[in-house]
Amino acid sequence: MTITSASANPSSAFRFPLPRIHPRLRLPLAIVAIVLVAPFAVPPLLGIDPNAMSVLERFAGPSLAHPLGLDEFGRDRLARVLIGAQASLRVAVISALISCTIGSLIGLFGAYFRGLAGFLSTKTADVVLCFPPILLALLVVTLMGPGTTTLIWVLSIIYFPAFARIVYLEASRVSQLDYVVAAKALGARPRRVMFRTMLPNISGPIIVQLSLTAAAAIVTESGLSYLGLGVVPPDPSWGQMIRGARAYMERDPLGIIIPCVAISLTIYSVNLLTDRLRDVLDPKGLSGGIPILSPRRPKVQAAPQSATLEADTVLRIDHLDVATNTNGTPIKLIEDVNLRVRRGRCTALVGESGSGKSLTASSVMGLLPRGVNVTAGDIMLRSHNGETIQVTTLSGEDLEAIRGRDAAMIFQEPMTALNPVYRVGDQLIEAAKIHRSVSSAQAREEGIEFLKRVGVNDPVRRFDSFPHMLSGGLRQRVMIAMALSMQPGLLLADEPTTALDVTVQAEIIDLLIALKNSAGAPGILFISHDLGVVAQLADEIAVMYAGRVVEQGPAATVLGNARHPYTRALLQSMPAAHEELHASRSDTLPSIGGTPPLPHERPAGCAFRDRCPHAVSVCAEVRPDLTSVDGPDHLAACHLTRGSAV
Amino acid sequence: MLHSAISRLASALSMLFVVATLVFAIQVVIPGDPAELLLSSAGSTPTPENIAALRVEMGLDRPLLQQYVEFLWGAVRLDFGNSLIDNSSIGQTIATRLPRTLELIAVAMSIAVAVAVPFGTHAALRAGGRLDTAGSGVSALFAAVPVFVIGTLLILLFAQTLKLTPAGGYADFGSAPIQHLSNLVLPAITVAMSIFPIIFRMTRSSVLDSLSNEWVRTALAKGLPRRAVVRRHVLRNALGPVVTVIGLQLGILLGSTVLVEFVFNWPGLSGYLVTAVEQRDYPTVRAIILVVAAIFIFINLLIELLQMKLDPRVQL
Amino acid sequence: MIEQYNLLEVEKLSLGFGGGNGLLRSQPAMILRDVSFTIGQGEIIGLVGESGSGKSTIGKAVLKLLKAQEGRIRFDGVDISDLSEHDMRPLRREMQIVFQDPYSSLDPRQTVRGILSDALDIHRLHTGTAREPRLVELLDMVGLRREFLDRYPHEFSGGQRQRIGIARAMSVEPRLIVADEPVSALDVSIQAQVINLIARLRDQTGVSVLFISHDLSVVRFISDRIIVLYLGKIMEVGPADLVHHAPLHPYSKALVSAEPRLDQKSSRIRLTGDIPSPLKPPSGCVFRTRCPFALPACAEGVPELREVAPGRSKACIRDDIDMETAA
Repeated sequence: MTITSASANPSSAFRFPLPRIHPRLRLPLAIVAIVLVAPFAVPPLLGIDPNAMSVLERFAGPSLAHPLGLDEFGRDRLARVLIGAQASLRVAVISALISCTIGSLIGLFGAYFRGLAGFLSTKTADVVLCFPPILLALLVVTLMGPGTTTLIWVLSIIYFPAFARIVYLEASRVSQLDYVVAAKALGARPRRVMFRTMLPNISGPIIVQLSLTAAAAIVTESGLSYLGLGVVPPDPSWGQMIRGARAYMERDPLGIIIPCVAISLTIYSVNLLTDRLRDVLDPKGLSGGIPILSPRRPKVQAAPQSATLEADTVLRIDHLDVATNTNGTPIKLIEDVNLRVRRGRCTALVGESGSGKSLTASSVMGLLPRGVNVTAGDIMLRSHNGETIQVTTLSGEDLEAIRGRDAAMIFQEPMTALNPVYRVGDQLIEAAKIHRSVSSAQAREEGIEFLKRVGVNDPVRRFDSFPHMLSGGLRQRVMIAMALSMQPGLLLADEPTTALDVTVQAEIIDLLIALKNSAGAPGILFISHDLGVVAQLADEIAVMYAGRVVEQGPAATVLGNARHPYTRALLQSMPAAHEELHASRSDTLPSIGGTPPLPHERPAGCAFRDRCPHAVSVCAEVRPDLTSVDGPDHLAACHLTRGSAV
Repeated sequence: MLHSAISRLASALSMLFVVATLVFAIQVVIPGDPAELLLSSAGSTPTPENIAALRVEMGLDRPLLQQYVEFLWGAVRLDFGNSLIDNSSIGQTIATRLPRTLELIAVAMSIAVAVAVPFGTHAALRAGGRLDTAGSGVSALFAAVPVFVIGTLLILLFAQTLKLTPAGGYADFGSAPIQHLSNLVLPAITVAMSIFPIIFRMTRSSVLDSLSNEWVRTALAKGLPRRAVVRRHVLRNALGPVVTVIGLQLGILLGSTVLVEFVFNWPGLSGYLVTAVEQRDYPTVRAIILVVAAIFIFINLLIELLQMKLDPRVQL
Repeated sequence: MIEQYNLLEVEKLSLGFGGGNGLLRSQPAMILRDVSFTIGQGEIIGLVGESGSGKSTIGKAVLKLLKAQEGRIRFDGVDISDLSEHDMRPLRREMQIVFQDPYSSLDPRQTVRGILSDALDIHRLHTGTAREPRLVELLDMVGLRREFLDRYPHEFSGGQRQRIGIARAMSVEPRLIVADEPVSALDVSIQAQVINLIARLRDQTGVSVLFISHDLSVVRFISDRIIVLYLGKIMEVGPADLVHHAPLHPYSKALVSAEPRLDQKSSRIRLTGDIPSPLKPPSGCVFRTRCPFALPACAEGVPELREVAPGRSKACIRDDIDMETAA
């Protein structure tokens, strides 16, 4: 590879992953390096014997020759504190490395071979963990006598179980992952799987534990030395210096403060490194993953002209823009979306992952993830007393009042959408009890009634079940019952059948169809990637691509006479649409090449043009607007639909 | 439920048995004759007669299996024999000293939990805010200072300089309650400060984890008020890991109070232990460690049973 | 036309999990019961079933990544059921796997070059100067550019990762590939690309494929024959088009009619209730608790998988159901 091509392609810079140091790790790493090196490098430069006594000058204050003064025997404090560090660091680092090696090997072997090896490795760790660490240390010191070697052994024994346990858990998790199974399926030997595939992928937690252990070892070492059971005099160590200085505490507070500060600074710097390592290795803990709840949304100035909804409409979205602003530059996730849901009808929002369909639903509920905001447009919702609500202007408390009552929502994963610690019935009636202040007995009766209505057999028993006792299909029925329990005018269904088996999916679809046809039915905004599912439920369809609606209209028209090339391609790529084709006859399924662009990489002009077989030059320059085709209700955003058909 | 509770009890008892065996076995495994080691620690070379006499006194002359059975049977009856140093009953000394250690731990843990849990919760709910930064700063500071250093510095400040509290010592609660409490303040705060970071951090991260659960979104979507969502669907689910870490710390404290008791001359179990270690009074050391490990296992058992109560999914 | 030569023969395979250890021994959950089937040289067999049917377990058991309690597996005429891990190693080259989840199937710490080289290193294939052309050839085979060799998995989209996983499997020139739900994690517009790729590789290399999926329409397109699985038992086996258009078993019919289609409203069989737990399977026919045609007799004997027409078998005691008018 030539130099020019290497520089032209930025990703090839990562070819050989040199340990590039994360910016957040640089400072703590530098501090730790100084702490580790200084005690060994500085004393020779000072040229002072840490054990040289000058009794006449005992407790002398800081001076040029002795920057930290002299101690109770007239020894130089700076030299002693540095030499003391040597002992502490040597013990800590060596024992951390020993315990890391032993513990990691035990954990790794246990997790790979399971069975007896796994049992023994976890149980060894469990037994050692039954002893509080300091006590275990004392037991060994009793038998072996104090001293540096004893200390290293003691600390290694104390800390290896934690490594064994962490490595066992992490390695067990990793060994279930497909790439480890793939290595086994390729015929890799156990050694190769363990050390080449598994170990690199669990090195993060091991490094964190190593630095944690080094800090803990310094603490324990100094504690034992403080008790007189660690490093033996006259070798100086920090714990011993504090022990020695205690007797003169009143007369010479500096003597005790210096080693205290030295220990604390050392541990602080190692802890800082540990914390940063954790943040870097697991970015989730730092900022992301904190959705929705927090901070209270302030009231927005109401839009000047307060439009009202048409009589048959429960939701109207006009020119909605949603953007995220994480790195300073706003990135539009949704642009200019217009939608309408009528009472007792179903509007389907179809698109692939990342098209923005779920965000659209979340913005109706005011449940956008943190850092994602509605930046333009109106969301108008029919309230239960018939008024029109401008959702985008509501405060946090007003949103609570409309959620569940005016707009309810069901989600994709029924397994995680219910809280495992409460009975499903209690969760079902929870909101009703707060919003309508009905009695518990009455709420229970209503809840059972709703379970019956969504087709739950034996509703009384199910009401008192915990979520983990129910199957996915039943849980989704419970979610639907919960959503219906406050008789909302709008039901948002975000891929409610995607996680279910096909036969169960068919049942849930039937349930939703029955719901739609019942008296007082809510309007449904149904979000799905599956045109086959949508075909059974939807009255109107909007197809989203890269944050925009590219085609919308009555369901039969969009499915039967799709005009946008993307909609057509979606319909064409369903295997179910090609029963005449078969692989054994060397047929191929029509497919769309490429992948949808990420939000920050959306091209100018039409976002679909790179994958569109019909794209012409104007597609790269001008973004097509949604315009009516065939009839006033059928809209498509494609230059080619104007005038001539595709 | 009952079935799994019983099986956990059985596994705790078997663990206790393994621990007892291990404590006994260490004396066999470690090189050298314990009697000789004990006598030579004084500095002089012991005569063979002296060693033999001590071996008889320690029961080392009997067959190993017999020693083992006697040790176990004694442990079951809480009879650990007599100290090699002053021939006092080890069981009795533990009985007077253990409650003092437990008192210190209980008071310290109560203080730490009362401060760290609400603090950690609020820090997580306003992650990145001022309270969060302050909490993380304080816990980083406390975590960096070893417990005996905290104790020493507190003595320096409150006892030596401000003269608000005694520097250490112990008074019987029955005869001098005020004195007893004022002696308790500094050691309890010291221990509480040392465990604050652990409980604070666990609470914070547990609440943060809990916040990102999907059922929190469900609860919001059905219109529960924010406060109800936090209480019922965030805190309740965050409780488990916090309870576990509190239990674990209770166990670890049984060991690490050694240092605090030493700093403050609090005559608990640990002072006894340190003396025993210094004098190589092996039977005493063995007994104390066994008792502490038993308490530790018992606490773990309680935690496991509590977890079963907290989360209906946890079975067996 | 289906080849006559059977590359893989599976006979009465049974596999269970759990059963606990130590004091608390419990009934093991039987995931597979008496599963028998064959795969011809160059044949694509579709394995369809819902969650809990054991379809992925069959795939792993065939590759001996899971140990079956009973039954025989013969690969190319050799009985591999009792081979040790060590003796299996040379055979591993012959049988490979492609996974469902494009995110966990590639080692995040290795570049594409490392991932593919690892596979070749294990079997000492294409060493030295022959390595580079082989890597390029592999990428080319799955439709990826050679510049991708030095990128890490996270730099790719789901569909591209799936192609890399297929390239890894193909790198050792296997004769059998177990494709475990290879397209179900992909977006609709990407699915078709990967399905076409697998079909093309079969045509080019003559590899046999066990194609596992819950999606009957995908399986119908790609497979020569289909096996319908329910709760660890085979319900029906037959040529793909026939099983799809004219299923013989009530469960197959239910699966076909549950399939979301644009032009629905034909005859439907709707199942009610949930798939029973493998811990407590129903007596007799495992499907009877959800079967609209169940008779009292269904609770008694376990129905045999029997040939009812040339190349077509079903495990159902009833021959009197008219599927077209049944709904």
